[in-house]
Formats: sequence, structure tokens, C-alpha cells
Amino acid sequence: MKRRGIVLLAFAIAGVNLVPLWLVVKQALTPERESFAWPPTWVPHELTLSNFSGAAEAVPLAQGLGLSVGVAVATVISTLALSLPAAWLAARREEVGSRLDGVVVAARLFPTIAIAVPLAVIFVGLGLYNDSSGAGLWLAHTLLGVPFAFLILRAAFRGVPAELEDAAQLDGASPWMTFVRVSLPLVRPSLGAAAMLVFLVSWDEFAYALLLQVTHRTLPPLLFYLSAFGYPGLSSAVAVLMLVPAVVILLLLEPALRSGVLAGSGR
Amino acid sequence: MRAWFLAVPLVVYLAVFLVFPVGEAVRLAFTDSVSGTFPSLESFRTIADDGLFWRALRVNLALPLLAVALELVAGLGLALLFAERLPARRLLRAAVLLPFALPEIVFLTILRSILTPRGYLSGALVGLGAQPVDLLAPGTFASFVSVALVDAWRTTPLVFLILLGALVAIPGEIGQAARVDGASAWRRFWHVTLPLLRPAIVAAVLLRGLDALRIFAAPLVLTGVEGMPVLSTYAFHQWSDYGDDGAAAAASVVLAVVCVLASVPLLRRRITA
Repeated sequence: MKRRGIVLLAFAIAGVNLVPLWLVVKQALTPERESFAWPPTWVPHELTLSNFSGAAEAVPLAQGLGLSVGVAVATVISTLALSLPAAWLAARREEVGSRLDGVVVAARLFPTIAIAVPLAVIFVGLGLYNDSSGAGLWLAHTLLGVPFAFLILRAAFRGVPAELEDAAQLDGASPWMTFVRVSLPLVRPSLGAAAMLVFLVSWDEFAYALLLQVTHRTLPPLLFYLSAFGYPGLSSAVAVLMLVPAVVILLLLEPALRSGVLAGSGR
Repeated sequence: MRAWFLAVPLVVYLAVFLVFPVGEAVRLAFTDSVSGTFPSLESFRTIADDGLFWRALRVNLALPLLAVALELVAGLGLALLFAERLPARRLLRAAVLLPFALPEIVFLTILRSILTPRGYLSGALVGLGAQPVDLLAPGTFASFVSVALVDAWRTTPLVFLILLGALVAIPGEIGQAARVDGASAWRRFWHVTLPLLRPAIVAAVLLRGLDALRIFAAPLVLTGVEGMPVLSTYAFHQWSDYGDDGAAAAASVVLAVVCVLASVPLLRRRITA
């Protein structure tokens, strides 16, 4: 009897958590006037794809999509390039690791607005503000990606026995070859997880995107303005576009997340 | 081996894009936006004369308290629920993690559609024979609670994961021993489980508390810049609506000082740990 109540409660909570996703998809696929209906509809009365073309007419959607993808991919590359060597070093030298830790945690916890405002002013001077290829936004997003990539990769390199690297070097491999042929392949799963996570961080990012770009906007600010100006259907169509990579990446990451949680519980 | 050069790119990058902008923020905050004089307290005078700034400061201090309290209760409840045997466990867990998995801006814009006076919640209430509600009316206590609730809903999955990890790490024998000794379920939770969860709870509160101080998107999307202002949205407002770099930087510096002060307990814990 009590057990049935617990199961019922779990399903009820799960159901409530699905409501926002359901309503986004519903609004995206029903005509704009249905989104304004009173009382509001919970299931679509009329299905349409017109919101996607409508959103593309209202805002530079294709440009936004291209910018979002471009900035996210560039952010993944720069973040990994900066984090990989530093994470390896931090895993091998505890005294370096603890110092880098402090800096990286500071980057993670410092208020975005206190970096975004001066960065916007600096970028205006450098001509990177509202850059048509999103270069300024890319440089800012790298700052958000670094803490995630650094911490994931350092943990992964800690799992690679130093003896393995020493053995390769004794056999005559250069430090570079040892890293590329021995250490890097062993951390590939974590590298993949870090890359996907950093992609999502950039893809979802809103504050820097709002402050550093005005006419060349990525998807999150476009979605925000469509919603703020009262277009629930059009904004939901953009939201659905944003959801696709987010959901795909999270499904791919789910095993890593699960093993991560299990690793945390094993301690 | 001179391996330290491996950290140079990262350190240089952080110096240019973290340390330099922070220094620039301080310089801007102490520069007169009109005459360009430095040092000057003019920007701080500008924001101190603005009632919206003081509202933003008050909300910014109160909002994290409510949001983190809500997350902690919800996250703990969910962790206890998922520590039980459940059918379709993975599916249920995915549903519970969903609000955090959705892009923040997607979650917030749809929550706005739900909470507006003519939104889905009002519609449901009218369907049940009640009155429609306006939970986002500017400056009301209701909208304060709404912003806190929405932020808590979105970030509860994080607290849930931290606490669930700690909960399943507690050896089952401890609970059994207490049960053999005749402790009731409530006493077992209060005197056995909760003390063992303490480190995880403290970690979750610190992590989420520091995050909540920087809250930006939730109040902006749900209530606009003046409905339920916080320091981040206030700085954005000064910068984008008035073009006042100095006032925006001054408000950011106030927020940064609040964050640094709040992170002192966190750093102290890291040193003693």
C-alpha cells in the first residue's frame, strides 16, 4: 500500500517535469493564434510547421543557427586545446594542479555580468563587438568551457598510470609521442564527454550572447526576443531547433553521467 | 623536465579574458562616464540614487536564500524517493533531470507562457473553477516567489544528483542496525541518514548558493529588467538601455564583491579539507 504510493508519487513528479517540454513542442507545432487561445489548449487542435518559416521571416534564423553552431564548435576546439596540456600537467604535478584548480574554480564562480560588461567595452575598442563571425563570443564562451574540460580531463589523466608513460619513454618514445600514442587514447571517452559538454555550454549560453552581439545573434537571444515581444509559437519553433542537439548530446552523455554518479557513490 | 610550459596557454588565456576584464570593470566603475575622470565615485553615486539598484540588491540577497532552500528540500525528497526500488527507474530519472537538461532559455520562456495571467496555469485554475492568477506582476511578492521557484525547479536536478550519490554511498548495514535497535523510520532519517548526508548537503548549498547569486536569465525572462531586478539584470539594464558603461560596471563590481564575500566559507573549507 505504502509502496504503491511511492511509485505513484515518482510517476506524478516525472509527469510534471515533462509539462514544459510538452508545451514547447505543442506551441511550436500549432498556429500562433492557438497559442493565444483562452482558455489555453493542452493538446494541439491544429498542426502546422508554419512557425518555423514564420520565425525565419521575423528574425535572421539561418544566420543565428550558423553562428550558434560555429561559435560552439570553435569553443570546443579552443577549450580542449587550452585544457588538455594543462589538465595532464595538473594530474602529474599535484602542486601545479592545486594552483590551477583555484584559478579555474574562480573562472567558474565569478559573476558573468562582471566579465561581460568590461569585455563588451574592450571588444568595442578591438572591433570584436558584434563580430559577424562571432569571434568575440567564441573567446568569451571558451572561458565558460575551460572549467568543465579541465576538471573532466584532469580526473581522466589521473586514471592513466604514470608507470605506463614512463615505460613508453624507457622504450625510447619522446614525451610528445608518449602523450599522443599512450595517454591520449586512454582518455578518449572523457575527451568526447568534455567536447560534447562544452558544445552544450556554448550552445545554451545566453548572457554573453545577449551582451556581446546585437545584430549577429545566436539562437538563445533570438528566442528571448521572440518570446519577450509576444510570439509564443515562433519562439517555441526556435526552442525546438535548440532542443535537437541538446537532447542528442544528452542521450550520448547519459552513460558517462551514470558512471560518473556511480563513481561518486563508490567512494 | 620543464613541463610547466604546458600550463602556459591556459594561464595566459585566463589572464587576458578573466583577470584583465575584471581589472577593466573596476577601472570603468571608478571612471566618470561623462567627463572620463579617474578615479571618480560618480558611477556609484548614479546607482546609489537609483531606487531600482537598491531593489536589485535586496532581491539579489534574498532570492538565493529562498531558491537554495527550495532546491534542498526538493532535491533531498527526490533523492530519498529514488533510493527506493522503483519500476522504470531510468526513465523516471531522465524525466526528473529534464528541466536541467533543457537549454535554460527554452525552459524559462515556456515557464513564462505557463505563469502569465493568460497562461497555462491560469487556464488550469479557471478549468478547476478558481480565479486566474498573475504570478509575474512587477514588484510583487508573488513574482519574487515565482522567480525563485522557477530557478529552483531548473536546478533541483543538480542537488538531487549530489544527494543521491551520497545517499546510495551510505552502507545499508547502518540503517539496518538502527532498525534492529528499534528506531522508527523518522528517527532513522533524522539521526542516521541526515548526519551522514551533511557533507554532501553543505557542498550542494555552497555550489548552488554561489550560482544563485549570479542569477540573470530567470528574472530577466520572467519579469523583464524592472519586474524583479537583480544586480546582473540591473547592470545589463544600465548598459543596454542607458549605454552607461560606468554604472553597469559599478553594479557588476558590487555583485562581484558580494560573490567573493560569499565564497570565503567555500575557500576556507577547501583549505581545511
